[in-house]
Amino acid sequence: MTLETTFVPLTVEELPALAAAKKADGWRFVQILAVNTEEGIDLIYSFMKDNLLENREIKAIQKGAVVPSITDQFLEAFVFENETHDLFGVNIQGIAIDFGGNFYALAQKEPMTIISPEQKAAREKAKKVAAAKAAKEKAAAAANAAYKAEHPTPKEPGEPIVPTGDDDAELKLAGADPEKVARARAAIAAKAKKAAEGAAQEQKDAALEEKLAGMDPDKAAKVRAAMEAKAAREAAAAEKEGE
Amino acid sequence: MGKATVIPFGPQHPVLPEPLHLDLVVEDETVIEAVPQIGFIHRGLEKLVETRDYNQFIYVAERICGICAFGHSMGYAETVEKLMGVEIPERAEYLRVIWHELSRVHSHVLWMGLAADAFGYESLFMHCWRLRERVLDIFEKTTGGRVIFSVVKVGGVVRDIDDAMFAEIKRVLEGIKDDYRQLCNAFLKDSSVKNRTVGVGVISHEDALAMSMVGPFARASNVNNDARCLGNGGYGKLADFQPVLDGQGDCYARVKVRALEVLQSIDIIEEMIAKIPAGDIVVDVKGSPAAGAEAANVVEQPRGECYYYARGNGSKYLERMRMRTPTSQNLAGMATALAGCDLADVNMIVLTIDPCISCTER
Repeated sequence: MTLETTFVPLTVEELPALAAAKKADGWRFVQILAVNTEEGIDLIYSFMKDNLLENREIKAIQKGAVVPSITDQFLEAFVFENETHDLFGVNIQGIAIDFGGNFYALAQKEPMTIISPEQKAAREKAKKVAAAKAAKEKAAAAANAAYKAEHPTPKEPGEPIVPTGDDDAELKLAGADPEKVARARAAIAAKAKKAAEGAAQEQKDAALEEKLAGMDPDKAAKVRAAMEAKAAREAAAAEKEGE
Repeated sequence: MGKATVIPFGPQHPVLPEPLHLDLVVEDETVIEAVPQIGFIHRGLEKLVETRDYNQFIYVAERICGICAFGHSMGYAETVEKLMGVEIPERAEYLRVIWHELSRVHSHVLWMGLAADAFGYESLFMHCWRLRERVLDIFEKTTGGRVIFSVVKVGGVVRDIDDAMFAEIKRVLEGIKDDYRQLCNAFLKDSSVKNRTVGVGVISHEDALAMSMVGPFARASNVNNDARCLGNGGYGKLADFQPVLDGQGDCYARVKVRALEVLQSIDIIEEMIAKIPAGDIVVDVKGSPAAGAEAANVVEQPRGECYYYARGNGSKYLERMRMRTPTSQNLAGMATALAGCDLADVNMIVLTIDPCISCTER
């Protein structure tokens, strides 16, 4: 026998009927928890029978909305309903043993609804990372579509993309002076090589930026400073060599 | 019948190690109704998850309670591992079970000492706690701590136990077994002890089921809600696990269930030591829980089933961490057990339910 956990959506209207059905089917009450989100407060009611742990989720309850108590079915829920009221300000009505907001001795009202600066920063960062990922995927899809439109025949993976316009250059070179042709061909090859190197560097930079975005801001700043210092050192060394 | 009077019980009371308040409505010497109240030591530990990343929070989780410390760190780590899809090495699972069962032994023996003190048997209290010291010595030798161990991390455990230490643990547990059986005789056969416990604070099987009670409190009323039967982690490797049950539902049954569970835990530890495989004790955990990802888990703490819930937000900080402790679940049962009892029995009933208020309020 292993634990099977499920998360199933629920609405406030369905709650009393669900509690009655669970009681009648021999499920036991496990707990109620609340999660403070930007959209409202999520409530999760958990019930268990044998090895099944069912979590029923009511999403985004707005401030002032009335939630019916389930203590008529499960008396033991009075602890959790009073707690949810005191810590999250959820208006639960009909609690069998109602402490009227005095269940916990709190210095601040509804403390779990206060969004701390750390939580705000974590949420913003998570949003940025998600947006960057989505933008990257969108850009990659657009580039792929554009490439496919220009090159109907699929290329082998890893083959460098030859800059467009080279076919015209080949036509122009036909019939020209052989020495000039050789110089032009060498220039085109060098250009293609440089473009491939540039693309590889861009990919490397993008991967590094993504990694930095996921790091602690202080640590990321330190890494950036170290990279800039390294680049400056290499540039200075290259200049010296040139002299 | 006399006039109904309300007698306040706690939050400061000699029988209560933690602040719990009861409004006892009494007529003559009989309790008609008991209304429990907690809320004196709410610390907001669940809120701290916003400022401690998922690796740091393990040290907060194990400080929720001094007795269930290891169980909370294990329950938290298992939940985050579930959230992130991490599979820990088998040896780490075995080590977690060994430490967790040792914690159960120390918790139950500590509780038996407190119960002995409550019914005025002080020498029995001292014998119990002396025995418990030997378990704490094992903790100190294997983890470096006696109460807070800090050996669990997301991905496994940070300390291993070698074969020589396993042999030492087995030797100490064998010694404890002999002394413990003598203590059990006092708890289960002494007539003066039985006078205080037999037939007191009865909870019927139907009431225990109806109020979703958990832990030894429920098992004493023949309700099996033992989460170890689910075979999470190392518990799945046990050859056979049968929870200790009793059908009487009184204080004596609750003492008996706990007393026998200590011997059962020692057997589990010996089996785990005999079977533990060689190998790594930890895996590297990289990345963060995905935004909106959710996981729920249950762990059988010494006092009963504990529920854990975690939700990620895409960063290394969790969006929400929730621990529902066994005492929260048993408060309604406690109020039912107190209704109709003698005023003098209130302390025995409250103790045999073993409420842990610091766990409940977090």
